[in-house]
Amino acid sequence: MGVAVGAPQGGALGGTQAHAKDGSAGFALAKLEELVNWGRANSVWPLTFGLACCAIEQISAAASRFDIARFGSEVFRASPRQADLLIVSGRVSNKMAPVIKRIYDQMSDPKWVVAMGDCASCGGPFNNYAIIQGVDKMLPVDVYVPGCPPRPEALFYALEKLREKIKAEEKLGVRE
Amino acid sequence: MTEKLIEKLNAKVPSALKDHSEFRGDTTLFINAEHVRDVASFLKDDEDTQYDLLVDIYGTDRLKLGQSSPRFAVNYELYSISKNKFVRLIVDLVDPARNGNGGSGKFGEPLPKVASVTDIWPTANWLERETYDLMGIEFENHPWLQRIMMPDNWVGHPLRKDYPLGGEPVYFEKDRNNPRFAHLGKQIMAGPSFETELPEEMDTDGHMVLNLGPHHPATHGVLRLATELDGEKVVRVTPELGYLHSGFEKTGENKRYEKFIPYCDRMDYVSPMNNNLAYVMAVEKLMDVEIPEHVQYVRVILCELQRIASHMIWLGTHAMDVGGTPHAAPLYCFMMRERILDIFEMVCGARMTTSYFSVGGLRWPLPGAFMDAVRAFLKEFSGYYHDYHVMLTKNPLWLSRLKGIGILKAEEAIALGITGPLLRAAGVPLDLRKVRPYCVYDQLDFEVPTSTEADSYARYTVRMEELQQSMRIIEQAMNQIKPGPYRTADRKVALPPRHEISTSMESLIHHFKLVTEGYRPPEGQVYFIGENPKGWLGFGLISDGTANPYRLRVRGPSFVNLQATNTMARGGFISDLITIIGSIDIVLGEVDR
Ligand code: SF4
Repeated sequence: MGVAVGAPQGGALGGTQAHAKDGSAGFALAKLEELVNWGRANSVWPLTFGLACCAIEQISAAASRFDIARFGSEVFRASPRQADLLIVSGRVSNKMAPVIKRIYDQMSDPKWVVAMGDCASCGGPFNNYAIIQGVDKMLPVDVYVPGCPPRPEALFYALEKLREKIKAEEKLGVRE
Repeated sequence: MTEKLIEKLNAKVPSALKDHSEFRGDTTLFINAEHVRDVASFLKDDEDTQYDLLVDIYGTDRLKLGQSSPRFAVNYELYSISKNKFVRLIVDLVDPARNGNGGSGKFGEPLPKVASVTDIWPTANWLERETYDLMGIEFENHPWLQRIMMPDNWVGHPLRKDYPLGGEPVYFEKDRNNPRFAHLGKQIMAGPSFETELPEEMDTDGHMVLNLGPHHPATHGVLRLATELDGEKVVRVTPELGYLHSGFEKTGENKRYEKFIPYCDRMDYVSPMNNNLAYVMAVEKLMDVEIPEHVQYVRVILCELQRIASHMIWLGTHAMDVGGTPHAAPLYCFMMRERILDIFEMVCGARMTTSYFSVGGLRWPLPGAFMDAVRAFLKEFSGYYHDYHVMLTKNPLWLSRLKGIGILKAEEAIALGITGPLLRAAGVPLDLRKVRPYCVYDQLDFEVPTSTEADSYARYTVRMEELQQSMRIIEQAMNQIKPGPYRTADRKVALPPRHEISTSMESLIHHFKLVTEGYRPPEGQVYFIGENPKGWLGFGLISDGTANPYRLRVRGPSFVNLQATNTMARGGFISDLITIIGSIDIVLGEVDR
């Protein structure tokens, strides 16, 4: 169905090149859907948002040793309006739940959620009155990362999974 | 000492003292509720006692203790800086709901009452609010008795013994067709917003109230600061906590002693080793266990490494917030922290949540490559340490944003119960490793850095100097450490070695008992404080002779230190608030617990 992305010359996406005179096509065709997905999947901007211990591993992932920039996600945005990805990195308390819900609502579509760590996935070691047993009780979660805390590599694995998911999205990711 | 104190107390406030006891070196005075303020003033002001630092206030619910004494009690842990002495006051409260409907703590039900001591020790403000919130004890004449951890619309007081632990049942199998599991994985919470109250004296009409947080990159987590502003000047800051309240104390009371160790890691999650140490030493104090010297040294080395790692996070994030060197400093700092985490990973398999110390020793012996790794780290770190100085110490931006900002004088700090580098930067050389040495700190030569400037820059220099001292401590400890057993030979707390289990019946029984039932400390109450990177981490344990602690209390240094925000930020600019929060060095996991 879709045509391979990447022109024979220069590998540029679409557009003609003035110096191309050997007769081969100076453009490439792709389904709009795939193009958009390709762009989205390679520039997932997370929200600067940390909750608990897992947030420290999230910071480590962004620091020089692990370097999240290798996956196109180093642009942490402090405003939910500019972010695509909410990494819920830690335990969600009853008091914090409405705040997270509001932050999620403030993010513009398309948006994704990664539940980082056991706490965000299912409550983790805190099966008690204070903690919500998994952030999926309030938000649609795309990828769950096990671990307490997950290592930065595990977060990257989740990021890869998310990119696979984005690349397979249909109808430009519009959710009913 | 105790006799003299009691004699004098009886003379000054007759009929106040009901009883007194000594247990594991802790002195406890039992006080009648109506005299609590007289006794408090006496203990604070008398020149023979001078208990000027209120360390902790926490409530006890004796519902399941089967005692005839009143149901609720309030514990006050006091410390005298000049006399270097601790004392505990226990105040029994008259329970109004005793003959009523059981006192489940619903709204509108009468709560047990005691007089507030906020005007004697201002630090009592938040500690009393916490006790009110979680234990349902009313403090009369408290300036603003509001919930502090739980949402304002919460019903009940979670730490009471008739309040269930909560949570969800955990199923170890999942039958897809069983309707019982239909709710799992469903979005069932609406997450409704609710209003939180502001203090009455906040002028919301004449001034602007700016909300900083709970989602803000410079609050180091989920902290909300309701800031009243007059133009750019800060009139008042009201921190709003509890967004990360995770019920550590209640969880601990439902677990065996040993099983709380992994939870300690998750409180101040940038210094898990120090948390582990304070907790296991509290249990060891309760059980009176002797610890081999080798273990003590290992604990000191790992804790000082952790102190460096914790200060690295503080320095990196602080420098990033303040903006002296936009992104270089955090990257440099995190690099060195990674080296330490590598050592931890080698020791116990985890980067952050270590749980390496166990009651009676270490979880397993040190790996062979440990010493070399630490030596290599020290060598590398001293080079980086120099770099940090070059980057920041004389950086004009750094100086102009830190010098003279957020001044907290010694008297104010002591009144607010501040400990750790914050207090030392105000000129009080109070370091528990020095004044009441634990582990082997008395055999190591180090200094307690102080400063008299009491501003944010002083806190910076004090912490930088502490890094130097930690390196010194580690070096000495590495030279003095000798091989030895990695846990105590006391089979009542530590597992027997593997080979003994297959040869000795007795060892097998000990092993079986420890694994299936845990140990049972004797009845009693202890309080142990460790000098953490951020201040005093206190653990209070009340044992009823079973394998679970009856009451587990955690005093987080960040929680108490954060209370000074208002004092430091008042009258300054809003932008300085960021400097101040950074210089306190908080971790929200420990503030909210
Ligand atoms: S999963 Fe573990 S490390 Fe992460 S927030 Fe929860 S307790 Fe902390």
